[in-house]
Amino acid sequence: MAEINPKYHELDNEMRERKLDESTPVSLLEDVKHKGRVWDDLCEEYGVDNPDPPWRITLEATCDMLAGGYWETFNVCKPKEERNPEEEEKKLDAVERRWEEDKLVEKYYEQVPFPERQLLALAHTMIRRGLFDEEELARRMEEVDQRLNSA
Amino acid sequence: MAEKHKPAPMVDEVSEFEVLEIAVRELAIEKGLFSAEDHQRWTEYMHTLGPLPAARLVAKAWLDPEFKKLAVEDGVKASLEVGIDWVNSMPTHFGTPSDYCNLRVLEDTPKLKHVVVCTLCSCYPRPILGQSPEWYRTPNYRRRLVRWPRQVLAEFGLQLPDDVEVRVEDSNQKSRFIVLPVRPEGTEGWSEDQLAEIVTRDCLIGVAVPKPGKTANDPRPVRPAVNPYHH
Repeated sequence: MAEINPKYHELDNEMRERKLDESTPVSLLEDVKHKGRVWDDLCEEYGVDNPDPPWRITLEATCDMLAGGYWETFNVCKPKEERNPEEEEKKLDAVERRWEEDKLVEKYYEQVPFPERQLLALAHTMIRRGLFDEEELARRMEEVDQRLNSA
Repeated sequence: MAEKHKPAPMVDEVSEFEVLEIAVRELAIEKGLFSAEDHQRWTEYMHTLGPLPAARLVAKAWLDPEFKKLAVEDGVKASLEVGIDWVNSMPTHFGTPSDYCNLRVLEDTPKLKHVVVCTLCSCYPRPILGQSPEWYRTPNYRRRLVRWPRQVLAEFGLQLPDDVEVRVEDSNQKSRFIVLPVRPEGTEGWSEDQLAEIVTRDCLIGVAVPKPGKTANDPRPVRPAVNPYHH
């Protein structure tokens, strides 16, 4: 019988030691979760049959960019200790991000469909890791909203 | 009688999720986590990806025993014949860190069925298969497939006889997999285009088998889990 990749258990231990399994709800994201209209509902209302929202690919690209490897290709394949240390604090390792996504979805976003749940988990992770804070994100969302809805 | 849907070709509404996606991206760029140009180039590249090249690879392998041999021995080299250069065609011009390293083509036989998973995260052969489906990312699939492969395949609607061995391949940072299923009966004399049409994404992951007339993936899963994943 095949088994779960043993690296998952190592990752699990490492992330728990770093207390990345601990989290509190982010009120801004809770608001989006409760008030946001998911793609499935919009498709139903507008009669659109594209299974994915137009922002799914840009979200995926953001995740890839945050891993920092696509433009320094061998970085991600390298063990962490061999990567460029000055750049590491800016990166969000893909495997760690997915681990956190699993945990955050389980805890807060399980009822949210995909890819909306991926987006909420990514924003949650970035806030938790201090890549930006909740207030900054709230302000930027207001700006984006005004820009898109004033056209 | 009132129409059920408004006759609109697109969603004429900006959702909070769309706003959030843009805000996250813009802040990341502003903070110097990546550049807008890199993001745009990568997004444009990602928009070109989908499952068709992998389907074509399988169809070619069904028609050409020499190509099948090449595909099984060297998936990256065989991919060139369906227009996928795992190394040089990326926007980086030197491959991608999580996808480029190695593609293995897993050949099914009447007595052996392969199925692909990533138990660690959700590694997927994106250059040749596009974006992974939602269910492929879920702990439910990733945890349970390795333990109860027959049950999970049955939930996808694929019932396998007891004398067929099921082999689960676990993707990792250096290897990606696609399944080369058995060519189904009833496809004798078909062209490469016809054959490629029945090789769906799910067949290439291994949770379905090709059938004449079936050209789309089913909504998944089709049956409830027997042993659901518990957190």
